[in-house]
Amino acid sequence: MAGAITIQSEKSFLRKVRQLNWGLMILICLVACIGFAALYSAAGGNFSPWASKQLIRFCVGAVIMIAIALTDIRFWYRLSWPCYIAGLVLLIAVEIMGHIGMGAQRWIDLGFMQLQPSEVMKIAVVMVLARYFHSATLEDMRSIRFLIVPCLIILTPVALVLLQPDLGTSLMIVMAGGAMFFIAGASLWIFGIAFAAAAASVPVTWHFLHDYQKQRVLTFLDPESDPLGSGYHITQSKIALGSGGMEGKGFLQGTQSHLNFLPEKQTDFIFTLWAEEWGLFGGLVLLGLFGLIFLYGLWIASRSRHHYGRYLALGLSVNFSLYVFINIAMVMGLIPVVGAPLPLVSYGGTAMLAVLVGFGLIMSCNVYRDSKVTRV
Amino acid sequence: MILRRLRINSIKIAGERSFAIDQARGRLVLISAVFMLCYMVIAARVIDLTVIQGHLGHERTASLQDSHPSATAITRADVVDRNGVLLATTLKMASLYADPALITDAESTAKGLVKIFPSLSYGDTLQKLQSKKHFVWVQRNLTPHEQYAVLELGQPGLGFQRTDRRIYPQGELSSHLIGYTNVDNHGLAGIERSFDRFLGDGKPLTLTIDIRLQHALRREVQKAMSDFTAKAGVGVIMDVANGEVLAGVSLPDFDPHKAGAANSDAIFNRLSLGVYELGSMFKIFSTAALLETHGSPMSTTFDAREPLKAGRFTINDYHAQKRILTIPEVFMHSSNIGSALMGLEVGTKVLKDFYTDLGLLTPMEIEISEVGKPMVPDPWGDVSTMTASYGHGVATTPFQLTSAVSTIVNGGFFVKPKLILGADNDNKSDLRIVSPQTAESMRKLLRLVVSDGTGKNADVPGYSVGGKTGTAEKIGAKGYDRKRLISSFVGVFPMENPRYAVMVMVDEPKGNKESFGYATAGWVAAPAVARVVSSMGAILGIPVRAQNGVPEISASLKKYVRFEDE
Repeated sequence: MAGAITIQSEKSFLRKVRQLNWGLMILICLVACIGFAALYSAAGGNFSPWASKQLIRFCVGAVIMIAIALTDIRFWYRLSWPCYIAGLVLLIAVEIMGHIGMGAQRWIDLGFMQLQPSEVMKIAVVMVLARYFHSATLEDMRSIRFLIVPCLIILTPVALVLLQPDLGTSLMIVMAGGAMFFIAGASLWIFGIAFAAAAASVPVTWHFLHDYQKQRVLTFLDPESDPLGSGYHITQSKIALGSGGMEGKGFLQGTQSHLNFLPEKQTDFIFTLWAEEWGLFGGLVLLGLFGLIFLYGLWIASRSRHHYGRYLALGLSVNFSLYVFINIAMVMGLIPVVGAPLPLVSYGGTAMLAVLVGFGLIMSCNVYRDSKVTRV
Repeated sequence: MILRRLRINSIKIAGERSFAIDQARGRLVLISAVFMLCYMVIAARVIDLTVIQGHLGHERTASLQDSHPSATAITRADVVDRNGVLLATTLKMASLYADPALITDAESTAKGLVKIFPSLSYGDTLQKLQSKKHFVWVQRNLTPHEQYAVLELGQPGLGFQRTDRRIYPQGELSSHLIGYTNVDNHGLAGIERSFDRFLGDGKPLTLTIDIRLQHALRREVQKAMSDFTAKAGVGVIMDVANGEVLAGVSLPDFDPHKAGAANSDAIFNRLSLGVYELGSMFKIFSTAALLETHGSPMSTTFDAREPLKAGRFTINDYHAQKRILTIPEVFMHSSNIGSALMGLEVGTKVLKDFYTDLGLLTPMEIEISEVGKPMVPDPWGDVSTMTASYGHGVATTPFQLTSAVSTIVNGGFFVKPKLILGADNDNKSDLRIVSPQTAESMRKLLRLVVSDGTGKNADVPGYSVGGKTGTAEKIGAKGYDRKRLISSFVGVFPMENPRYAVMVMVDEPKGNKESFGYATAGWVAAPAVARVVSSMGAILGIPVRAQNGVPEISASLKKYVRFEDE
């Protein structure tokens, strides 16, 4: 096992391009197109201000995605820890110099774009966990001592993200990390302990939650109690979804969304706008596309000959699906409002870039699935 | 596919790791199964929200509402009240534009225009007139006088375009019911929205509202709000025989001409979209359920000596009597304990069915699309039955509550709120919900509340007002908040043969000196209803009932009531 990197077969550039997952790319483009259409509609039938910018970002992001996919997986393997450290530094930086937006400190202003370190962290945590578990043996996975490090890998950024405060993202990091523990073969009783610890910490966490977060949880438990206050989003969102019905109201005809009854329609609540205009069918088509993308990711994970690729592709696919679930469940009132965008569809630069970088890595796992990745 | 791949992979890696691979494969399959299940749950919820729950709303929108622009030149039709008073109309107006290429002297033209339209700035106007375009708007919707003044400038580069402008002569008076349109005259809310195509096709509409009553109601709700420095208020006047809404007020309201500038609090329709826990007014329904389904005599007693433990709640009485109460006593003192016990006696399923029959638990059918979904306990157990008996844990819209009260008192025939005056003017429904006997008993009980109980401040001599108070605590960050109340009163008159239901709801009133610091329904909403009833008497010319000699309708109940001074 030990030793330098062995190269099984150097692939020519053209062969690599052929190995790219064009099916996955078509699915991603389809979802992104739904996003453009929804943003076009959100602006009342206008490319500005949202759809045009989103289109440019997607194109830039897609080029980056392909570049990442064509880069040797071993390069990304080596970059895992540096990415993670950089993410941590950025997270600490927002604490110190990030500018306050919406009561939560989440951005670093780079001048040309606003960088959300928590997005970087979502990917970096998966990369570093994949690398850590890559060399794990079955015995390792059974020993608590071995698992302390990955626990810290997850909990350090989670603590920093919670400080921002961004409950949704911290939960996503924990869940994606948990999924990787699971797939890497951690004993089930470890999950039992983690669940018990989480349950025990609920009262403590509640104490540390910001008032607006408490309000969101309370509103979730009883959304119609205060239809004008924090229940407003959800109530309006549900009305809009309900008014879409089976076939929807038609493109650009979504009255609830266009009348500004629906807040944040171009970001977190874009699924509502889509489903109001395209109805049940539109909603299910979008969900189906998301599901296919997830399955594609799992397929790539199962094809990888090395653990790193398997864990990386799985962790990133799970991450992607969590985004989807959290956002859609939120706008339908299944979970509290936590402020998570719908990947590839919601308006927003960092999120779009992060998702495409994630798919770049997944595809790299596929292109280089036969590479031998060994510890360096 | 996944499995086969994994198998091939696992064969290649021999020895001790094969167990790990087996396990990993199992776990990979498990994770994909869990996630696919999540996708299905979410898909099911989408179906639930869009098709199952949204069914009613969709039907309504499909039949009534159409926001497709119709490229016809037909003028959007008028909306009038039940007496023909104009509520919404369309005026033909001229809008001023300029073709800068044809402007001969931009500077003097700009000066002239600024003189006619003081709101224009000289700099901006000059810039427009000197631009390179061939068409710029200068001012929309000119009065004839302004148009004449512009013609006097004799400037060939200025021209007029005829435009239609939607005008609401009554201003904000019934803005939530009529709604408003956008600049292209397409309805965006209320009747304007739900009948967008109908009105756009040039067909006029007659509403059930009476603008005189609307005036009086808005004035009194406004007064109650300012007297008690409240956040918001709602008022409804309904014809109990057929559910026609004679007046409906949701405050704060907004100027429909400038709806875009109004904030969401003002735009929000509290009459039909807002759902509220309306408190003890629900005792009307739980008591009616008991009388209707058990035929209990008025002398039936309920032990209100001790607060009632129900799950994690303790049910207390606000006006605690601390003794055994008869049905009339429970009702007139608004005993939560008594009502909760009544609810238990009625039984969970029967009470829930009864509320459903009254239309309290499902989104109502009404001619506007702003309809709130009632909040219903789920699951509905015995504790919910107890709280729902005095109006907690169940939230409905003010329109629904008023129409359910109308159903109870009008002799027992189901009515739903109506906003459009039909050709069949007084079409009474023949769907019976309660028997004439129950309706009769409820009328007596309602009168008793006003003649001797918590609603004395709603009494108007000569009009035999009956009604019920409702004071509910709003839900705050730590459960129910005793300081933030929703105080409401639903009145019905005249009680011998009810014709009108009047409901007033005040959101977060604060007690004042006249009310001795109380912000409860009896002090806040009941007097407002009394003032509305007095005004209605004058406006509609309702004859006053002789006061001496004729026995009160509630007199027969007094033998079941123990008065303090006896």
